[in-house]
Amino acid sequence: MSTTTVDPHALPGETGMVEARRGRWLPFSPWHLILMPMALLMLVPLVWMVITSLETLAQTRRFPPVLWPGQLQFQNYPDALGAAPFPRWFWNTAVVTITVVASNLLLCSLAAYAFARMHFLGKKAIYFLLLATLMVPLQVVLVPTFLIVKQLGLINHLGALIVPNLANVFGIFMLTQFFRTLPIELEEAARIDGASRLKILFTIVLPLSAPALATLAVIQFMWTWNDFLWPLVTLYNEPAYTLQLGLQSFQGSHLTEWNLLMAGNVMSMIPMLVLFIVAQRWFIRGIATQGLKG
Amino acid sequence: MGRFRRIMGSDHIAGWAFILPSVVLILLFGLFPIVWGFVLSLQKASLLNPVRPFIGLANYQAIPKDPLTRKAALNTVIYTMMFVPSSIVLALFVASALNRKIRLIRFYRLAVFIPVVASTIATGIMFLWLLDKEFGLANWALGTIGLGPFGFFADPSQALPSLVLMTVWGWLGFDTIVYLAALQGVPQELVEAAAMDGAGRWSTFRHVTLPLLSPATLLLVVWSTISALQLFDEVYFVTKGGPLDSTSVVVYRVFRLAFTSGVPAAGYAAAIAYVLFIVILLFTLAQFWLGNKVVHYQA
Amino acid sequence: MGSVTFDGVSKVYPGAKGSPSTVAVDDLSLEVGDGEFLILVGPSGCGKSTALRMVAGLEKISAGEIRVDGERINDVPPRDRDIAMVFQNYALYPHMTVAKNLAFGLRQRKTPRAEVSARVAAVSSTLGLDELLSRRPGQLSGGQRQRVAMGRALVREPRAFLMDEPLSNLDAKLRVQMRAELKKLHHRLGTTTIYVTHDQVEAMTLGERIAVMNAGLLQQIGVPQDVYDRPANVFVAGFIGSPPMNLLRGTVSGTTVSAGVFSFARPGLADGPITIGIRPETFRPTTEAGTVGPSIDLQVDVVEPLGDEVLVHGTLDARAAQSGAEAEDAVLLAETSTRAPVTVRLAPDSRPAPGDRMPLTADPMAVHLFDASSGDAIR
Repeated sequence: MSTTTVDPHALPGETGMVEARRGRWLPFSPWHLILMPMALLMLVPLVWMVITSLETLAQTRRFPPVLWPGQLQFQNYPDALGAAPFPRWFWNTAVVTITVVASNLLLCSLAAYAFARMHFLGKKAIYFLLLATLMVPLQVVLVPTFLIVKQLGLINHLGALIVPNLANVFGIFMLTQFFRTLPIELEEAARIDGASRLKILFTIVLPLSAPALATLAVIQFMWTWNDFLWPLVTLYNEPAYTLQLGLQSFQGSHLTEWNLLMAGNVMSMIPMLVLFIVAQRWFIRGIATQGLKG
Repeated sequence: MGRFRRIMGSDHIAGWAFILPSVVLILLFGLFPIVWGFVLSLQKASLLNPVRPFIGLANYQAIPKDPLTRKAALNTVIYTMMFVPSSIVLALFVASALNRKIRLIRFYRLAVFIPVVASTIATGIMFLWLLDKEFGLANWALGTIGLGPFGFFADPSQALPSLVLMTVWGWLGFDTIVYLAALQGVPQELVEAAAMDGAGRWSTFRHVTLPLLSPATLLLVVWSTISALQLFDEVYFVTKGGPLDSTSVVVYRVFRLAFTSGVPAAGYAAAIAYVLFIVILLFTLAQFWLGNKVVHYQA
Repeated sequence: MGSVTFDGVSKVYPGAKGSPSTVAVDDLSLEVGDGEFLILVGPSGCGKSTALRMVAGLEKISAGEIRVDGERINDVPPRDRDIAMVFQNYALYPHMTVAKNLAFGLRQRKTPRAEVSARVAAVSSTLGLDELLSRRPGQLSGGQRQRVAMGRALVREPRAFLMDEPLSNLDAKLRVQMRAELKKLHHRLGTTTIYVTHDQVEAMTLGERIAVMNAGLLQQIGVPQDVYDRPANVFVAGFIGSPPMNLLRGTVSGTTVSAGVFSFARPGLADGPITIGIRPETFRPTTEAGTVGPSIDLQVDVVEPLGDEVLVHGTLDARAAQSGAEAEDAVLLAETSTRAPVTVRLAPDSRPAPGDRMPLTADPMAVHLFDASSGDAIR
């Protein structure tokens, strides 16, 4: 069967027929002339950050800017690590993020499975209630949540970041939708064989849900790792800071030491970049399915 | 029959057991604060003092009379009106460009998507440096084509547009992914039929592709508007609301009032937050209502 | 106007690194006369759709020329070819009303509004779409959508129509109805039509001429009855006709052709293997009056009474041959069994029972002979 496309984006002058030849890329498409500058433009802030991180302080204070430092100042990196408790911040953020992601995977799976497959009193009402909380933006609940967390004695504690986020409504919804798409026969067969709901969830449903779980994990990871406002509001001791908060204070105390700042910034971005490159499929799928569900 | 009953009966307990941890957490940290927030908005409150006298609707009445809050509201609206159209239109063109199979397409897509994972702070640091008034790369590059130098974040009239530039860069990947997925869902046969019907490249785009993208467009408009109205991190970190309050936005004002103002303004802050909430809700409903008239969902 | 000529047309898909390229259409040459209704028929993957799409301009032509009204259109973009296409899945614009769908092509060509309305109204009444004009495709049934797809092509009054299996998504009853309507329409308009289908019944009933294709190659082109009566090769013989022609492995020895106990005289053939083809209706029970020819016993397996005829499936004491048009499992079965499965078409009053031995004869003049290696017909 043919695999041709009629390209609606063919440039005038082409005959209007462009083929997606099976397996072969076009030798040199004029689109590269648009896409390459665009891609480079998007990468400029990142690339410039890396270049600056390898310059000396004096080089950063030059105009026109030094585009290539000549001698790469890798020293900036250990200097930045020494100038602020980065390792501590990394650790804090990692602990919070991993705990939150793990907790969400567990709790959201449980709840989503119940909503997707079980019938119980009040199910619709509770589901609707949860939906309602999604509508409300963070700043509305900022102060009250702060007061609650304060009551629990978690201010200045990593627990302040973990406990309120142990179960995310978004995760529950996403998994509920996904579980509903699984063929129910598998679970029914197991039920007739006498398996408990819990067993069915862990031995049948979850293994089949690996893509959805991966997507949830990756998105939750990004949210938690990059979160700024909530840590800002609940953490006040430098050693307790998360990475984003720490970065902000680092910038505040090294305002114009751009080379040092960039080195710190690069280090802070590496975990997310690595995660993205390794798990891009799940990121992209997570975002794309948002759009397709309409 | 007895077994059937047993299975059906136990679902109530099992069901609630499964959802209980999540529901308790969400009720405690999601639903309850919503109610408490409203209560706070009717009080004169400070974060430190547990005594919070009720003052009725005084907080709400103070909002329109407060020049700083009005300015924040205005800035938020201006920012939103700049951010939403530019990020969506740009994303549409970028997604169209990325919707082809040529060599290096994976690199191009990656380059567009990567900024999404950069945190607001990391992005802020990159752009503070890039748009630095004295030593920034931007001013140098613009200078080579005879433009500038610009004050960017340091100039009251340029700070908000500079924020738009920064946030569009950060969100472009997200919008593009949504559009790219939607574009790939346009059936090839329709494009072919349009070609047979005599439609040129632009006509096909306008009459066939674009209408089929309308669900994605609606989603992005709603999502972008909501997130634009809630702008905070970038303002707090990059411009601190300035210069001269030119970038103070509503959530920033709420934060300042509740956490750093030194006066018991937490209730007032809660009131502003609630008004914002209502505005967002109305906006979203209006957009969906309008959207349903215009958007076509494929059968 | 509207004749279409294929002149040595080929379509080659280059393979991915390491794999050979695929030839979808191999040196196709045929002429579609002005106003003719030609059907391209063949199994899936035979290249018929690809050939059609090359005429439309949706596929680039790898070699050869396609001419419409004598002018070469290889490099003319689809929009300028003045050809309309009806797609298998209709490809209606889902966000436009039926009326807008019909009008789209005309509006794209800057046709004045008055004319657009007039033409749309005319086509709409011809196809019975008047009540549907303000509905969207999503609100229509399959049959209605099919008619809108046809209407969209009709309204443009092109030089030629291209139809890519337009009826295959309809249920059987609707299909029969639409076939009749299509035939009537063609009578009225007289526009050149190239129609692609994999259903040989459709081909036989609709086409003025049919072109049978297999694996990218044109097997035979001709009037349906001719193709049926005088298949050019074993493939066409096995493909056209339902139930398919029974094929037996035979041997030529001197002037005798035989397959198992079934043998008859035919001078002028070279000794060696040969393929014998006997249509289901060519077999007659020996008890029937006026039958001539050698006989062979049919071991009856299954009897299918169809009302106006009876189909009897059984086996003969002979080996079966392949046409290349069978389904895979049939091939396997035929290879391994020692008897040839055949189907016989009998008058409704014949009532054999499963397990019976039924003596049959076949008129040797009505038997088809094919070269055992090339598959070509031997006249």
